[in-house]
Amino acid sequence: MDNLSDLWATYRSTVAFAMVNAMFALSTYVVLSAGFLSFSTVVFGAMGGFVGAQMVIHGLPLAIVFIVSGLAGLLVSMVVAAVFLRLNSHWMALASLALVLITRVVVLNATTLTGGVNGLGIPMALPLDWLTGILVLTVLAFYALYHSWFGIASRVLREDPSVAACMGVDLRKVQFIAFGISGIVGGVGGAAMAMLLQYISPDTFFLGIAFTMIAATVLGGSYHWFGPVLGAAVYTALPSLMQFIVPSLQDVANGVFLLLIMVFLPRGLIDPRAMRLRRSAKGRSS
Amino acid sequence: MELFASQLLNGLSLGSLYGLFGIGFGLVFATLGILNAAQGCYASWAAIAALVVAERAGLPFPLIMFAGMGAAAVVAVIVDQMGFQPLRARGADMLGALITSIAFWMILDSLAGFATGQQSLSFPPQSYPGQMLLTQPVPLPAMQLIAILALVVVAIGTHLLMTRSAIGSAIRAVGWNPVSAALSGVNSRYVIMLTAALSGAISGLAGTLGGVLTSNVSFTLGQGLMLKGFAAVVVGGYSDVRGTAIAGVVLGILEVFVGQYFSASYRDAFTYSLLLVFLLVKPQGLFGKGSFVRA
Amino acid sequence: MTSLKKFLRLTAALLPTLGAIGSAWAVDPGTYKIGFVADRTGVVAFAGVSYAQGAQLAVEQVNAAGSLGQGAKLEIVEREGGSDVAKSIQGYNQLIADRNVIATSCCIFSNIAGALKAIALPNKVPLVFYGATMPNLPSLPFVYNVTGLPGLQEIALSKHLVEVLKPKTVAYFVLSDNDAFQARYKASREIFEASGAKTVGVVTALGADTDFTAQATEVISYKPDLIMVYVTQIPASSFIAAVRARGWTGRMATNEAVSPAAVFKKVGPALAGVPFSVGFAADVADSPAGKAFVASYNKKFGADPDVYAAQGFTAMQLIAQGMEKLSGKPTREQLADAMAKLPSIRDDVYGGVNLVNGQVETKQNLFLAWSPEGKIVRWKP
Repeated sequence: MDNLSDLWATYRSTVAFAMVNAMFALSTYVVLSAGFLSFSTVVFGAMGGFVGAQMVIHGLPLAIVFIVSGLAGLLVSMVVAAVFLRLNSHWMALASLALVLITRVVVLNATTLTGGVNGLGIPMALPLDWLTGILVLTVLAFYALYHSWFGIASRVLREDPSVAACMGVDLRKVQFIAFGISGIVGGVGGAAMAMLLQYISPDTFFLGIAFTMIAATVLGGSYHWFGPVLGAAVYTALPSLMQFIVPSLQDVANGVFLLLIMVFLPRGLIDPRAMRLRRSAKGRSS
Repeated sequence: MELFASQLLNGLSLGSLYGLFGIGFGLVFATLGILNAAQGCYASWAAIAALVVAERAGLPFPLIMFAGMGAAAVVAVIVDQMGFQPLRARGADMLGALITSIAFWMILDSLAGFATGQQSLSFPPQSYPGQMLLTQPVPLPAMQLIAILALVVVAIGTHLLMTRSAIGSAIRAVGWNPVSAALSGVNSRYVIMLTAALSGAISGLAGTLGGVLTSNVSFTLGQGLMLKGFAAVVVGGYSDVRGTAIAGVVLGILEVFVGQYFSASYRDAFTYSLLLVFLLVKPQGLFGKGSFVRA
Repeated sequence: MTSLKKFLRLTAALLPTLGAIGSAWAVDPGTYKIGFVADRTGVVAFAGVSYAQGAQLAVEQVNAAGSLGQGAKLEIVEREGGSDVAKSIQGYNQLIADRNVIATSCCIFSNIAGALKAIALPNKVPLVFYGATMPNLPSLPFVYNVTGLPGLQEIALSKHLVEVLKPKTVAYFVLSDNDAFQARYKASREIFEASGAKTVGVVTALGADTDFTAQATEVISYKPDLIMVYVTQIPASSFIAAVRARGWTGRMATNEAVSPAAVFKKVGPALAGVPFSVGFAADVADSPAGKAFVASYNKKFGADPDVYAAQGFTAMQLIAQGMEKLSGKPTREQLADAMAKLPSIRDDVYGGVNLVNGQVETKQNLFLAWSPEGKIVRWKP
């Protein structure tokens, strides 16, 4: 029993980071599943993070903090959607990357909200039960969405936008909803990240986290909502696993591992299509 | 007045590096459809290789530059064949390529840190032309002139290659659709490797020159070039090399003047806002021709 | 029996007891682990490696001298933080989960320091910062900081420059996205302006920049009597090199970031004569402990130690000297209390330090500069 509790103490923070990264990955996934590669979750996270941090500093209750952060993320996502959805998907990736770069500059200069170059210290640690509850709620929502008209419409949209349009799917509506969900989940994730790190600065929501969330999403599989969750867990745990290799080569080991997974499983760890094919192959042979 | 002219020159030289890097980056993005996160590493490694050659072999500067470009080309081909080709072979979409490029970015940057002993190194003073060509009316270091000339030569050369030569057509055909290009008798695999090598060499040239100009050979060199080169590609229009070159120069000049008359924190705001405006208003960039939708 | 004999008999009878008391002041034999969050990779790896090496040397020396008692040894357990907050937090949690880790040490970046402090305090683990420069980090009895605060050195250097150079115009080169350097620049500017020196220009750059020719050109155009450079290592070295390459021979002053030997190797004689204030430099270490440190560091690592190695070394000294005061099976709380009671650090390499509320303050401020031959010497204008 002692060993178990020691194990938990050792890896508790890794589990917490994996859960927050899962939120970000899910936020990226929902937009990706509607056909767009977008790094804009970073921006939603930044908004949720700084707004959430300010609220915690001013002593507001946690439930309010998370709800308002989610709404802040939603606000930004609606603006981003309105402006960016006119672009085609190639541009969306570049535009969202540009947006991430601009976000850092905005954070640096909006000193009243973000503390500017000094960043913000958050006086409260993130209670793990809250984080678990939020993640479970989000996952349940995604499960419901997968089987809803939105889930089906977005899958069709991703496969082939023109065909989807011909079949009467309202592209704009699906895309806006996707961005909205992304905004809420990203905003809440940002607030959670702020409380986990207990200090956020212009560099917190920048390229590092952008690459983390996209890698987690694609690694886990961007064709099913469970993929990003698993991908975030694997990606977050990777450095801890690589500890047992020479410290200076840890990053290289990380990269090699990621490379191997992508080369052998380009559609990610969780791939519904591969599963269906395997199942039907088994069915045929029996 | 002298300050203005000096800064203009600084901006031109800096912008030439951005433009050069952008040409390499845009080549891969436009023709192979890959957002290559590891492109910056090509530049860093080019500088490291060039430094090793400069320190050990004492060759003249043009050969040092070629050594850097060659090394970067080799790295680019390795990354393409190990990271992107397996995905192409399975017909997987290029989203996975972004992730493998991130993996390579981790690996290459970490190895680059190793290679420089975690320090920032500089070229031995005798290995490059470090003299001032002019001091009146404006100080003109020889290296800045070399950077500007390099951009002009590479931009014109690449443009001619892409638009007037058979290889250029082959590259563009493979970028559009490798299967139909193969049907037309193009060896797709070979052309892709060539494109990767070319893109690596050009970004590598930017890295080598950057390493000399900024006295900073380390993995941070590539990261800096990456962000600005990417902006140059977007503003200039990634389907046209001339646009990237001009956009890079404009960005360099803007950066210098905004940094001087305002402050460094607004500098990036300017650059990236410009980027965003272009993306929204004129996504094909200054010179790009129409946006194609891959249905 | 004569009184002498009686006395001798008494002493002989008491000796074993005294011996027993003597050995009661040592901890039980065994290995005591120090959790060390290192930054051997990432943007500050050049310093991170030095900190870790200095710490390693200190622990080796403590073990070799047997200062903790018979068979009691210290061992450093490293986790790589990679200059990344998330990774550092996870590594730190892994370290303190091991009950055999009796003390911890970390941190170059102040934000990471703050994050790890927030974990150390509720878990009651002694934590010694080896490199974070934010003021007011220590929190007795658990959190200490051995980094000589640059703010104090800055003020001392600025005052010295005002006295010696009497500049009429000053220009500054500072990072606009680095809070520590912004604070130092502002403190220094206050001093210069109070002395009547006019601020003719403030040139800025971002931490991630690599090209500084534009900034060098701009600052030269202001023709200042003195340029104060408040940036990190790479910008400082590139900027100084660029300014000199443009032919400007005027006065400049900078900070300790240019003190490691690798910087002189990179920039060369252009760096000569630019003063900075630093707590430790191998070439001018004149205390016996300082000289011994330089010699043994050279023997082990084949190079001179820089100020970062000295700080890593001092961090381990603090922990070891706290351990020396304990006996039996020490706990983390006991170690923390013992460290809190230390008035200063014995045999420090700086030539004298005070421990004030957990913060190390060096007694002397050295104003140094590189000589054209590549040695650090005391600065003469």
